[in-house]
Amino acid sequence: MAVDTAPAVTTPAPSRQTSKPTPRWRGREALTAWLFILPSLIGFLIFTAGPVVAAGVISLLNWNLFSAPTWAGLHNFARLGPDPTFWSALGNTAYFTLVSVPLTIIVSLALALLLNQGVRRVAVFRSLLLLPYATITVAVAFVWIWLYIPHDGLVNAVLGWFGISGPAWLISDNWAMPALILMSVWKSFGFGMVVFLAGLQAIPQQLYEAGRVDGTSPWNSFRHITLPMLSPALFFVIVTSMIGSFQVFDQALIMTNGGPGTRTTTLVMYIYRTGFENYDQGYAAAQSLVLFAFIVVITAGQFLFQRRLVHYDN
Amino acid sequence: MSVLMSRRGFLGMTGFAGLGIAAAGTVAGCSSGPPPGAATWSMWSSSAAEKKVWDDFGKYVEQQLKVESVASLTPSTGYPTKLDLQLVSGTASLVTALNGTLIPTYAARGAHRPLDDLIDADPDFSLDDFYDTSRRIGSFNGKTYAIGFDVAPTVMYYNKDLLNKQGIPLPSRTEPMSWATFRDLCKQLTKPGQQYGFTCAPAIDDLVSWIYCAGGNVMSDDASRSTLGDPEAMEALQYVIDLFVKDQVTPPIKNLVTESSLSNFMQGNVAFMQNGPWQVVNARKAKFDWDIIPFPAGAAGSKPRVSGSSFAIPSGVREGAELDLAWKLMKTLTSTGALDIYAKAGRNNPARLSAGSAFQPPPDNLGIVQEILAGKLAGGHAFDVTTNWNQVKQLLGQDLPRTFLGQVSVPDAINGLTPRLDILMRQHLDTVRQATARKG
Repeated sequence: MAVDTAPAVTTPAPSRQTSKPTPRWRGREALTAWLFILPSLIGFLIFTAGPVVAAGVISLLNWNLFSAPTWAGLHNFARLGPDPTFWSALGNTAYFTLVSVPLTIIVSLALALLLNQGVRRVAVFRSLLLLPYATITVAVAFVWIWLYIPHDGLVNAVLGWFGISGPAWLISDNWAMPALILMSVWKSFGFGMVVFLAGLQAIPQQLYEAGRVDGTSPWNSFRHITLPMLSPALFFVIVTSMIGSFQVFDQALIMTNGGPGTRTTTLVMYIYRTGFENYDQGYAAAQSLVLFAFIVVITAGQFLFQRRLVHYDN
Repeated sequence: MSVLMSRRGFLGMTGFAGLGIAAAGTVAGCSSGPPPGAATWSMWSSSAAEKKVWDDFGKYVEQQLKVESVASLTPSTGYPTKLDLQLVSGTASLVTALNGTLIPTYAARGAHRPLDDLIDADPDFSLDDFYDTSRRIGSFNGKTYAIGFDVAPTVMYYNKDLLNKQGIPLPSRTEPMSWATFRDLCKQLTKPGQQYGFTCAPAIDDLVSWIYCAGGNVMSDDASRSTLGDPEAMEALQYVIDLFVKDQVTPPIKNLVTESSLSNFMQGNVAFMQNGPWQVVNARKAKFDWDIIPFPAGAAGSKPRVSGSSFAIPSGVREGAELDLAWKLMKTLTSTGALDIYAKAGRNNPARLSAGSAFQPPPDNLGIVQEILAGKLAGGHAFDVTTNWNQVKQLLGQDLPRTFLGQVSVPDAINGLTPRLDILMRQHLDTVRQATARKG
């Protein structure tokens, strides 16, 4: 996707906008630039672009990893339609994304706003709140398994203080997915919080001062100054969170193994099982291309939508 | 001496240096690997004690073959994935360990080679010293693909102290008790919230023992359809689920993924645990007196699951010196000497009869394991699996555990599963046909 996610930084200064930019690459400068780009470019080609192309080819084959592949045409894509587990996994992934992304944004933004209120030792709080994000998901997932234990777990113990009898979170049809979402929000809010905090600190104070002079209420100040000025950061966090949540895997694998039933089987988990446990590489590749298409379409939609809602400081 | 350097020059030099380091690293990475002529083998290993056994195996191999032994040890959960990638990339060891349930999966896909030609051509090697069930587990489509290193039936562990404390006579060491007696005992020993009669894993691996004892199976004899809906299998499933849901003689399930019967039993407040002798090594850490007895007998008698693990040679091993070394290594790893090391460490019952004496008590009644395998006592049933067992297990793992929680009734779960299981059975038969045609 060739759309700039941070135009505020890269947009040329107004004085330059009047003159048409002319390419100034000269031999040595271009070579140096390419040298710096090269490691990233090689990595991208080998580990991202290459596998995407390979997945496209593999999706057209029947391949069990060990025997020679045979041509399948579009058969692997046709298998998706009548496969109830695929649709269940897709639905679960959509549910996870639609609930976890807004929740993560709200929690991140709320904490960033809190930390931006002149809190003393903000760096300490920022670091503490960033810790869940910096911790590996596997470790966090195991801790949360203990927190969710029906009778002795901390979550239900806390609910018990308020007279609420908590559910058997990870083995409940209705509560297993919310349990994963809650853990994921806790795990990932730190990233958004840091981005929002940086965005908040970059908002010129004179805008708020002007608002105060005009008698703007705190809510209106947030609504008409903070949100518009924060919209590039908001957009960035929404896009990255959305892509990340479509690829949710580790926590579901460790905490519920996709159960009970298929209630928490996510699309990436199903792709992994199809490809590496059932040795059906062609079908797994077809599923991953569908997931890729979903992510591309949704991200492209977000980029189109952002033109109307995201305000860049240029 | 000071050297002036421009910023651009410094950056350029840094870039070239980075590329140089990357290139050197790549070359170094490519050049690493076992030395030529080394006896390479792969195995799962999830604890220091387990690693010690495999280290001793390595020393034994070096002593016997006079070549360097290179063991690739991987935690059991990641072992199949790593093995798959090694097999596909041609970097697999000469000999690889395989869980018995996956032998048909690998054999049918041509990942491992049949061993019959090697066995026939070697007058020093005979399969006669291996338990029949181990040989059956290592075979697929009429050919031997793997040679066992351990094999054992599921047994019933029991907490002697707990039974003594309740004034309940200890069960017979040799005669399997009936299901009705077992159920009554479990009820008698259960005090909700404090003490429980029984524990097992809420999964097909443990359910099959009850199904076999009732005279049922997961699949028909020709593996063309699922037989979980047949009366025998249904009786067994309902019996176990009732222990969990109706009688509530089991500790409450807290998490379907991490639920561990051993962990429950080791708490000291559970009377009976269904498990294999491979857990003897861990149960020895218990702070109470315990022992094992034959699995309770259903309508078809006591026929619990017999499972085992084996070594196999990947198809990618080249004919000639490489295959010769692989076969010598295979013979050494499954020799009486090596299996003595394994059994003495208490890991599990060895697959060779001649190494049996090395698997020693505690517990006192450990001898029944070999008597069951030899057909002298109770009985056992090899774990019948398909060439797509991972898929079958996944499907069963989705819906069956919910019956343990009382979320779904047994008939509803089985009715929902059967059409999908039947499809998997048909796919299995197709795979077998393809494998047969490939050989032809």
